[in-house]
Amino acid sequence: MTDKAYNECVDNFADGVYRFIVKNIRHTEDAQDIVQSAFEKLWVNRAQVLPEKAKSYLFTVAYHQMIDHIRKSNKMPLSDEASIPHQPINQAQTELKELLMRAVNELNPTQKSLVLLKDYEGYSYQEIAEIMNLSDSQVKVYLHRARIILKNKLSAYAPTAS
Amino acid sequence: MQLNESTYETIFLLYIDKELSPKERLEVEAFIEDNPSYALEMEALQATVLSSDKIQYPFKENLKLQDWEEDLKATYATMLKADVEAIPGLSTSFKNSLKKETASEAIIVKSFGFNQQKFTYAAVAACLMVFFGYQQLTKSSVSDLAKSNSIATNLNKELAPNISPITTTKSTGSSETIVSNSNKQARVNSINPVTKTIQLAATNLQASNSTKTQRSNLLQQESIAMAETTPNNSVLDNQVVMKKIPRTYNNPITINATPLTVSTANIDAESTVDEKGLTTYEVIDTEDPNRTIYIANFEIDGNKFRGITRRVSAFLKRNKSDKEK
Repeated sequence: MTDKAYNECVDNFADGVYRFIVKNIRHTEDAQDIVQSAFEKLWVNRAQVLPEKAKSYLFTVAYHQMIDHIRKSNKMPLSDEASIPHQPINQAQTELKELLMRAVNELNPTQKSLVLLKDYEGYSYQEIAEIMNLSDSQVKVYLHRARIILKNKLSAYAPTAS
Repeated sequence: MQLNESTYETIFLLYIDKELSPKERLEVEAFIEDNPSYALEMEALQATVLSSDKIQYPFKENLKLQDWEEDLKATYATMLKADVEAIPGLSTSFKNSLKKETASEAIIVKSFGFNQQKFTYAAVAACLMVFFGYQQLTKSSVSDLAKSNSIATNLNKELAPNISPITTTKSTGSSETIVSNSNKQARVNSINPVTKTIQLAATNLQASNSTKTQRSNLLQQESIAMAETTPNNSVLDNQVVMKKIPRTYNNPITINATPLTVSTANIDAESTVDEKGLTTYEVIDTEDPNRTIYIANFEIDGNKFRGITRRVSAFLKRNKSDKEK
């Protein structure tokens, strides 16, 4: 990977990696540190990483660092969701989004990461399996379970919200 | 893919996860159109999909590589070129100086070139240095021995008033002469310190120098012999002892009475110097076939060294005779 390709990776993937981490751990400073570490690792191993695999590599590194961070600090629900900047479109969408995020935050870390990687980054089951070191079938089963849980939670929140 | 009541949920989940082929997606959409009751189910599942959330990493520029170094190089190169071109004379002299510098480097490298002739000279010089160094070393060791002998002689002179009467008596072999020369008690007092010193020196030698076993054995015998004399013994007893001592020496040079006094004085000197914590000296028996040869700090067995020299000389002789033939 050339210097130029590395800079392009920063431009293209830094936001996505940061979003994935900050949505998982909900702590901006720690998320920034993890992103920085992930890019540092990419730079160190740039000779071995192909440009087309850079995104997957970054997410894999960031995910494993996040798991380490969670295990070490054991402080998942630290900061408030309000600390993450949002760009609300309208009130209804914001409410729905908040409810969904609340439901997502109640998932276990694996299910949460699966949903975030699938919905935000659009990874396939196979790609998610590589990043999270799971099998394809495990990804499918865990993600489907997560969806069912979210659906049930949203249906449970809906009468309260209305 | 068969859509029915038992499979629809899994297929709907695959649909919202975009894991179905376009054809399968069309099949699902057709199924929902045909069965509107499943539309709510699909809607509920689609509500679980997170919409895009634009969160930007605030320190993106810090992660990027800064190409300021290349820019700086390019800027300075441009500036230097412009300066040089602005002064034509400077440009020529600058180029010439670069050429001279290159030429001088080449000359320096050539002058330090290493050929076979220089290597030979260096080897010969090294051999000469080793040879003269060895000679200087042997001279210094000889001078050390001479110095030790002179110390021993001086000490002998100091001890002479005490010991020389004994040697005299030994030569005459008469105890009455001794009694007539000086007081008996005084003589006993003068000898006893010498015997004590010899005992100490012999013990020290035995403990410190294990390689010189023969010499230390001699000295031990001497010390044992001398230790037999007690303060209550008469001068006559001392006489007998002193007569016995020369028999223990194999060296004809040191068999007379005087070397005995020298050796005792020398031992005394060693012991006194040892007490002060300085260098000790000893007399080496050069004709002893089993003696240890010292070259600088190396100890070489005399017999082995002699064997090696004999073999070398025999080999050289054989070569010479072969050539003559």
